Amino acid sequence: MSTTAGTPNTASTANVSSLASSKTIKQIGETAWKNRTVKINAELFTLTYGSIVSQLCQDYQRDFKKVNDQLFSMGYNIGIRLIEDFLARTAIPRCDNFVTTSEVISKCAFKIFLNITPAVTNWSTTKNSFSLIFNENPLSDFVELPMDASKELWYSNILCGVLKGALEMVQLDCDVYFVCDVLRGNPQTELKVKLNKILKDEMPAGED
Amino acid sequence: MSTTTPQKKSAVESPEQIERRRIVEQFLLFQESLPKVDALSYQWLLNEMVPMSMAVENNLNQLDEYSSLSSQSVEPGSQDLNEEFSELSLNKFEYTPSHKLIAQLHNANDDQKDKSNERLFKIGSGIGSKMTELLIFSNNPNLSFNSMDALGMVRFICKEVWKQLYGKQIDNLKTNHRGVFYLFDYEFQPIQNFALDDDEKVLLDVVAPYIQVPLGVISGILTSLGVPEDDLSISFTYVDIPEDRRKPLGQFPKGVNFNIQINQLQNSQD
Repeated sequence: MSTTAGTPNTASTANVSSLASSKTIKQIGETAWKNRTVKINAELFTLTYGSIVSQLCQDYQRDFKKVNDQLFSMGYNIGIRLIEDFLARTAIPRCDNFVTTSEVISKCAFKIFLNITPAVTNWSTTKNSFSLIFNENPLSDFVELPMDASKELWYSNILCGVLKGALEMVQLDCDVYFVCDVLRGNPQTELKVKLNKILKDEMPAGED
Repeated sequence: MSTTTPQKKSAVESPEQIERRRIVEQFLLFQESLPKVDALSYQWLLNEMVPMSMAVENNLNQLDEYSSLSSQSVEPGSQDLNEEFSELSLNKFEYTPSHKLIAQLHNANDDQKDKSNERLFKIGSGIGSKMTELLIFSNNPNLSFNSMDALGMVRFICKEVWKQLYGKQIDNLKTNHRGVFYLFDYEFQPIQNFALDDDEKVLLDVVAPYIQVPLGVISGILTSLGVPEDDLSISFTYVDIPEDRRKPLGQFPKGVNFNIQINQLQNSQD
């Protein structure tokens, strides 16, 4: 894991100026999805994730807060490794500001890994927090929650963990959490990313 | 696979053949058009189940400990202790990185290992039963579930299921035609990238939990196709890779032999 912290620095500097335009970001994402991605059926992905969540609900005896936490830490573990692959596949340079970061997350990262492009909105006035709105979500296609779960379970909470882990590896300490979810009967699925601080180069958490 | 019958291509196709080919092509086009995600995302999800299963095991044990401890400390004057415990319970979801969880699982006692493996098996079996539905309703012209015998089901697992899950078919299928099947996968895809500096025995032991998921998948598929769960026993062994399938680099040192036993068939045909 020691290579991760240094990766953004080593990315090619040629792209730095061009990354400013969101069109380029979109192109990078689409090219990577088209040419450098092995694909599988999304339904398989959905049903596998479903099996995991339902097993967790059983293990924690429908204590959905614990299920949320478990999904989050599972995602975190994926996120800290996913970022390496992401940087290798896209060769994206360091983002100048959080706005660019949000574009990269939406148009590149989500495009490549899940083939979706959640909309970025609800910027705070200080530009340090934004929302991702999911019109589609391959984790939760065809999913319906039972009554008791729909109050407390954040079904796709693994996404928060992945984002948290991946962002932390590029020195962005963020809070990532769901605000609402169509599975809970809300009109839309909204995920909040809030930047706390930019970390100095240091050892990843849990590394001795 | 050794069991497939080679299809001869005649120079002139009959109308039925043309029609069949059209249906197969249509099916492939339809499959292409279905929504897709990155196979690597799926791989991460699959492999992260193993450390997750250990984390669940840890958390459940901690919860048990906590509840037994707090029930002991109900005596008067122990309020400080209680507060301490409630703080503990707030922090009980301390994050543990995957590699540590895998090491913990490797060193865990048999009871914990069994529980964790059972959890993975159950997740796999959930995947399996849902996959049956998915594949039945995919209208694959090459599949007919109406008159599927045990061999047919196992073939279905070898080809369709394995292809969907792991992007390749089972390499070799052997059976005694009495309910015992050996499925050889010399390059079981989820574990191909695993390597340890330690000796091979440790590596094989660490990787074993990862094979619980496909065992569960096989069980889930067979039970959802009507094989009674009690008649079914599934296990695996590591096998040597045949000479002609060896690669100089980037290959897991052993192949996996999935062993399916359907008792019902054994008894009825004895």
